[in-house]
Amino acid sequence: MKFDVAIVGAGPAGLAAAYRLASSGFKVVVLERGREPGAKELYGGRIYAYWLDKYLPEFRKDAPVDRWVRKERVSFLTEDKALTVELAITQKEKTSFVVPLVSFVSWLSKLVQGAGAKIVTEVTVDALVKDEKGKITGVRSGSDVLQAEYVIDAEGVNRLLLERAGIVKKLEPELVAVGVKEVLKFENKKVLEERLGLDEDEGLAWALAGYPTEYLPGGGFIYTYKDSLALGVVVYLKNWEKLKTPVYDLIEKFRLHPYIAPLVKGATLQEYGGHMTPVAGINMSPPRYYYDGLLIVGDAAGFLLHTGVLIRGVDFAIASGVLAAEAIKEARSPSAEDLAIYEKKLRESFVLQQLEKFRSADRLLGDESLFRDLTLLSTEAAYRYFNIDHNQRTMFEAVREASKKTRVSVLKTMINMIRMLRSL
Amino acid sequence: MSLKYFTIEERLNANAWDVDIHRPHIKIKDPDKCRTCEKKPCTYMCPAKCYVQQGDYIVLSTEACVECGTCRVVCPHGAIEWNYPRSGMGIWYRFT
Ligand SMILES: Cc1cc2nc3c(=O)[nH]c(=O)nc-3n(C[C@H](O)[C@H](O)[C@H](O)COP(=O)(O)OP(=O)(O)OC[C@H]3O[C@@H](n4cnc5c(N)ncnc54)[C@H](O)[C@@H]3O)c2cc1C
Ligand code: SF4
Ligand code: SF4
Repeated sequence: MKFDVAIVGAGPAGLAAAYRLASSGFKVVVLERGREPGAKELYGGRIYAYWLDKYLPEFRKDAPVDRWVRKERVSFLTEDKALTVELAITQKEKTSFVVPLVSFVSWLSKLVQGAGAKIVTEVTVDALVKDEKGKITGVRSGSDVLQAEYVIDAEGVNRLLLERAGIVKKLEPELVAVGVKEVLKFENKKVLEERLGLDEDEGLAWALAGYPTEYLPGGGFIYTYKDSLALGVVVYLKNWEKLKTPVYDLIEKFRLHPYIAPLVKGATLQEYGGHMTPVAGINMSPPRYYYDGLLIVGDAAGFLLHTGVLIRGVDFAIASGVLAAEAIKEARSPSAEDLAIYEKKLRESFVLQQLEKFRSADRLLGDESLFRDLTLLSTEAAYRYFNIDHNQRTMFEAVREASKKTRVSVLKTMINMIRMLRSL
Repeated sequence: MSLKYFTIEERLNANAWDVDIHRPHIKIKDPDKCRTCEKKPCTYMCPAKCYVQQGDYIVLSTEACVECGTCRVVCPHGAIEWNYPRSGMGIWYRFT
């Protein structure tokens, strides 16, 4: 059986492409190695709505939403101190929501099937199939070959297929981080709400720097699902040598930190996992996003925006999937020449514009001193300012004392802060 | 405040799996490289503690692997042969 389009991966990117194409009458198949869509996927917890309204407006009607985020928190955390900034929105605003990725993906796959595309699960694609001219003509799983006019690669960050096809080199540690995550379930969702100061169905997104990753680039995160918490740490692979604690223990140290432990007391562990995430954004993109017969979308293409505090992969994945579908709809043939329209669409959209803008975020975020210095200096300075003894300090004195105690240079920190303001 | 530390085994037990006992999907193709690998990053960076050092060597058990791919990227000696488990098998996330 020959399909118009074969899509590898039932993640947000692949499913968004499948939905658009099937809705326009294309014969589409999605191949997914997991038991069900989402079975192999893990993320932090939050999806941004702004661009979804443009690329997948259906989500407003009936996509699962655990909580709309109305509180954003950022903390600098040390062994014994935490400095937290919170932004709270009091209107019932709906700009980003928390939900398990598996629930969202499962909703998306129903949409896809409703539009007439086929999703085949439990199929691991081993390779992209090329003809003698190098054009991608299908995919191979074991000894089975499936032919398709167009192939969309939505295999995610691990991109074995692109590597095997000679399109990208093996991932380098500089390009990725590993996220380790626990889902902690509460008997009663009121307990979770009371502890975090949330109204019913109100959500919290929280990023924590410093202690969670032993002051190395990356950090901790907490998101509030309906009656559970998503809690995790993200560690840049390139820093492994400086890590004193293995990542599987790092996350428990974070959960048991005296600032976090009271929040998760009594919760039971529902799931534990890990996943890589691109940290280099388009610095890890393949040389091109389109080839004869092939389009590359989502994480596999490096379409993820990461600023340390915010991480946006799902909305970029969906947008790129939709744009790939539009490109196929407009292309007269699967030649690279005709598919170049995909890149044009990416450039005209927020996807490449935003990623270009944050291109240098990666270098800054990988700077070790940034996380260490800022965390140590700011928590210590705040402590000295608020902790009154024989002497009440001015802010300046508090910072100066903190600098002495932590041996972090104020000037260097200020320069780093300016760099941050400019590129994050 | 004293909360219980969940051992990695306890944490992995919370997960659902379909383990392919017939074919481990990851192999150390060159154990000699592990012997001379000074810091053994796989033992630090694998979230599922699949790599355990025993003397100079590494014992790899793939049953609890969460298929993140980290070991393959972080291994400085290219000693790992890495693939996905056979179709449908391996980790099965339900709540993440
Ligand atoms: C720790 C962490 C926290 C994150 N937090 C957030 C967040 O809060 N918000 C956000 O927006 N983004 C977040 N992200 C990023 C987000 O998860 C990704 O950007 C997004 O899932 C990418 O979608 P995708 O469809 O490209 O790839 P994926 O979601 O990875 O989907 C790829 C799919 O392809 C399948 N597949 C792969 N290879 C094959 C093959 N050979 N054969 C068959 N099937 C295959 C996989 O099983 C999988 O289902 C986070 C990521 C991590 C790791
Ligand atoms: S990192 Fe690679 S070479 Fe080193 S011990 Fe681990 S598997 Fe062996
Ligand atoms: S893929 Fe991830 S979980 Fe599996 S062995 Fe490698 S590092 Fe560990």
